[in-house]
Amino acid sequence: MNLLNALLRDPQVVRNWQAAEWNQLLPLARSARLLGRCLSLFEQHDLVDAVPPRIVDQLRGALIKTRFLHVQALRELRHVVRVLDRAAIESAALKGVAYLAADLPPRGWRSLSDIDLLVREVDIARAESALQRAGWVPNGEFDDYDQHYYREWMHEIPPLRHSKREIEVDLHHNLAPPVSRIVIDADRLWHAARTVSDGHGFAIKVLAPADMLLHNALHLFMNDELRGGLRDVVDFRDLYEHFRAEDSDFDHTLVARAQALGCERPLYYAVTTGQRLAGLQPSPTLREAVAHAGPPAPVAALMAWLIEHALAPGRLGLRRTRVANGLLFIRSHWVRMPPRMLLRHLGHKLLLRRKPPAPEPDLPG
Amino acid sequence: MRSSDSAFLDTLGVFYPGRAPQTPTCVYDYDIRVYRPFSMRRWVRPQIQFEIDHLHPFEPHPAENAFPMYEWGLNWCIASSAHRYLMLHAGSVAFGDRAMILPGTPGSGKSTLSAALVLSGARLLSDEFGLVRPERGDLLPMPRGIPLKNASIEAIREFRTDAPLGPTYPKTRKGRVSHVRPDDTSLAQQDRPAVPRWLIFPKYVAGVAETLEPLDKTDAFRQLAFNSFNYRLLGDAAFNAVGAIIRNVDCYTFRFSRLERAVEHLTALVAETETPGT
Repeated sequence: MNLLNALLRDPQVVRNWQAAEWNQLLPLARSARLLGRCLSLFEQHDLVDAVPPRIVDQLRGALIKTRFLHVQALRELRHVVRVLDRAAIESAALKGVAYLAADLPPRGWRSLSDIDLLVREVDIARAESALQRAGWVPNGEFDDYDQHYYREWMHEIPPLRHSKREIEVDLHHNLAPPVSRIVIDADRLWHAARTVSDGHGFAIKVLAPADMLLHNALHLFMNDELRGGLRDVVDFRDLYEHFRAEDSDFDHTLVARAQALGCERPLYYAVTTGQRLAGLQPSPTLREAVAHAGPPAPVAALMAWLIEHALAPGRLGLRRTRVANGLLFIRSHWVRMPPRMLLRHLGHKLLLRRKPPAPEPDLPG
Repeated sequence: MRSSDSAFLDTLGVFYPGRAPQTPTCVYDYDIRVYRPFSMRRWVRPQIQFEIDHLHPFEPHPAENAFPMYEWGLNWCIASSAHRYLMLHAGSVAFGDRAMILPGTPGSGKSTLSAALVLSGARLLSDEFGLVRPERGDLLPMPRGIPLKNASIEAIREFRTDAPLGPTYPKTRKGRVSHVRPDDTSLAQQDRPAVPRWLIFPKYVAGVAETLEPLDKTDAFRQLAFNSFNYRLLGDAAFNAVGAIIRNVDCYTFRFSRLERAVEHLTALVAETETPGT
């Protein structure tokens, strides 16, 4: 637990904060990509006056950048969907860009650097070539092994980017890798998906509310990029509160859907992590349902420790965080690949490859 | 800001006097650390690492370049996060509460000209970034060392033999660099904003006679907007802020070669504006 988690659980704590606390919060929130969320929390709870002006400036600056990214992401979505529509390929928006398109609460603050789309597995090759014909290019260099990794084992293809724009486009055909322990029948997702419109004639499908939350949970459970993962936990909380306010029966729907799709364990992790680290307040129904979905007690305790140190380090740069991240990284592979495939993959990653360093940013001045 | 490098801290103390790093009552924007990473090179050819929030946006630099690296690192922090402000790519100086904005592409001589103006009594607002509060249209001061590159260093030394220059760093990524320390008045008044009154697009042309030519406001708008770091990002707020600046300033292009004459021209311009109707 750190100050950011304390703030997410109870925003009123900031009334007692001094400079030292604010100075801890800023790097934590920046690294978790939650600066915008902090500002919206302060606004919701009428706390902006209790925040030092310098911090408010930083939060506002982050939110301004986020709003710009929203414009870019929605524009990219329209471009992509236009190409796919012309090729008669149905698509659905996922994650961040779906929250934007469907005007869900994370829209107020959530930053994003890529857009995720779902297409049917039978369409994905056609979707990729349609986009490539229309100017999208692979975003990065992918050797034969990477190609094999994505196309044979994963639920997505190597990321694309339009040659004249900056936003990455990730095309998926499922929410979890087909080789993983949790296999999801994508047809059921399509069947439940809803169409949303932006009011200017643009319409796009998004997952059903329960599926959206389960996708978020799967991501937390299987993602190997845990840095900034707390943002996804906050997404879960915000979406859950929103859907519950809209539909009093939402908890039952969610629990039933988790059972139907085989996602009880991810839902357990999402709910317990949200409760501990992001102020999520699950209903008794949901709490009861996930209580039986956890792993054996020692594993649950270990996972709680790992997740806490990865997503809620006392401060940045701790060795414990690196250890926890490393173990969760291995675990994320363990749950999404059979053991032999995993050995082969890790062996390849560790032994055969050295990634070139990322290019340095230009030095202004 | 924390550092274990004493030479760097000494230089820092010259440019940021009286700014005790990390007093417990002070809220800060970034957690920056400048340190020598632990490696074999530590003894052979020491390097220095710039760290912000435990991230390392840059490769390590040679240790002797710690101060210029810190300054660039700070610029990087500002450019990537100060979107609360419209960030003009410009030097800016003030005469009282009225500001002169000097936008310019690298090589235009804006830093050299700003430095010469400051050495002639103008108040330094900022070099590199002109920070505009969009809702008020005024410029916030951020007086830091003005980095001079290569021949500009000699030009300023010639202009004022007693110019307060920091150490010269002969081999940086951007060539030879030395910083002009802002004067005490500029530092003391760093909480005093200034309202834009003149917009001068400088252009250093070797051997040219100084010429100040009025610039069409539409052109000025375009050039100022395109010279800002986050115009696109701020959208309509930036459009309105640039529009407000352009309406309130006199716009000129200024070709110059001799600093002494250039400063005379610009101070004359300021004097004329100060006595309207004569």
